[in-house]
Amino acid sequence: MKPRVPDPALFDMLRLGSNMVRAPKVIQSPAEVNLEVTPHTVDHTIGKVRLLHYSMGDKPTHSVPIVIAYALINRYHILDIHPAKSWVRNLLNQGYDVYMIDWGTPSPMDRYLDFDYYVNTYMDSCIDAVCDAASTDSVTLQGYCTGGTLAIIYAALHNSKVRNLVATAPVLDGHRDTTVVSNLSKHLDVDKLVDTVGNMPPEFMYYCFSVLKPFEQGIEKYLNFFKNIDNERYVDNFLRVEKWLSDTPPIPGELFREWIKNIYQRNLLVKNAMIVGDKRVDLRDIRMPVFTQVAVGDHLVSPECSMPLHYAVGSSEKIMRIYPTGHVGMIASGLSQKKVLPELGSWLSKRSD
Amino acid sequence: MTHTDKSDYRHLALFWNDMLYLMANKSQALSSTGPFRTMLSNAKLISNELIEINERMANFNVYMTKYYQQLADTWTEAQKKVDLKVGKPSDPAEYDAYKRVWIDVFDNDFTELFDSEKFGANYGKLVSEELEMAKHWNNMASIVLKSVNVPSRKEMNEVYQEVNSLRKRVAALESELRSRRRDEAKSA
Repeated sequence: MKPRVPDPALFDMLRLGSNMVRAPKVIQSPAEVNLEVTPHTVDHTIGKVRLLHYSMGDKPTHSVPIVIAYALINRYHILDIHPAKSWVRNLLNQGYDVYMIDWGTPSPMDRYLDFDYYVNTYMDSCIDAVCDAASTDSVTLQGYCTGGTLAIIYAALHNSKVRNLVATAPVLDGHRDTTVVSNLSKHLDVDKLVDTVGNMPPEFMYYCFSVLKPFEQGIEKYLNFFKNIDNERYVDNFLRVEKWLSDTPPIPGELFREWIKNIYQRNLLVKNAMIVGDKRVDLRDIRMPVFTQVAVGDHLVSPECSMPLHYAVGSSEKIMRIYPTGHVGMIASGLSQKKVLPELGSWLSKRSD
Repeated sequence: MTHTDKSDYRHLALFWNDMLYLMANKSQALSSTGPFRTMLSNAKLISNELIEINERMANFNVYMTKYYQQLADTWTEAQKKVDLKVGKPSDPAEYDAYKRVWIDVFDNDFTELFDSEKFGANYGKLVSEELEMAKHWNNMASIVLKSVNVPSRKEMNEVYQEVNSLRKRVAALESELRSRRRDEAKSA
């Protein structure tokens, strides 16, 4: 008689169930995970914004400091998520003086803050503080994702204060963006949203995250986690990224309104027609060296959305690199440590003294 | 004169809401003190908001039903594709391959849906109706807040707007001061 083979799905379920029971005994809770990896001081504050200055004790070998404008979604920790994958730490090790703008957590009182305030007050104040501390007239400005958009606008309006511009997956050409986020944004009645709820609530962003690869990110990821609870490295990495993903601040209402209307719906920035404060942003005014970093597998900001920057700026020194990774992989992965950052460091080293 | 069911309902509700308020008004005024009359007029305003919200809820349900229909249709189609591609797994190795195909097909089909014009348009309308309902809740909350002498959302927004305008003026002055100091330091 042929022995009866048990259903493989049953095996899988039993193993998963056993691991789920065991997990709390062997793994720390996400709340206990510390995302502050590299030592830093808060060198400047304005409103709820903080300017973080990173240091591991060594004196920088390059005289031009780097100021990183993190995105408006989630928090800056992803750029310093783990000692082995830290963007910040890698730049420090390459001899750069690294600062980061932490946008803080806007409250209902901040609902009228707009691009003008973020670029011409928050960023300008932080960059002035860095210039004063480093006794320099200009900095290398790096912007990631929506922070890349802010950095581009800042560079166009304050070009004398930006020695080099590094745009990492910037949101620029909303009409070419092929992502789900862009599709939802194009159909959103943003006036009604902002007028009714004020600041853009984090729940809206969590909804946007939930429609990005919902089965891989919403089911498989967690099944894999419970299968790998004995793999210390896997668990550590998982908890750090999950904790980062589950914490996004609100976005000031007016800034969000301008964001959706002017970038995703009217596409004004790439057309050199966006007004910030009382000035028109003309990308041809960006004449400093520009490094554009794009990820081919980016499902939050598609490559077609970022790449037009390379062709739109007025700089004679410009470079664009396309990496075989995703939105987060470009800044916090083995690839970013082995390829993205060494290329950036090498390019900057010729322009940072 | 022809009416739709919805406008009939609205007319009926508003008619009795207003009539009862008017009919009760005089006798209430005579027998009660001021604050009680405020409560009555507040009740009328809240009733109006509830009538409006009911209408919105009907629209919201239309888009919500369509939203779930889109998800359900995509699920059915994706499962059909998986069934065509791979048979039922019989050993652990096949089971893992089946899961991989299932997740890939479902992710592809759902991403295609979320990326589509039809999904975006319905989602936009769904959120819009949800916000309309939120507006009515806000209005009701404002009526209650006013009755207990707490600033309404609209009044708070006026304060925030004023704070924002002051912030911008202070920031401009600080920026001017910084550049003057820098120029002075350079010339010194």
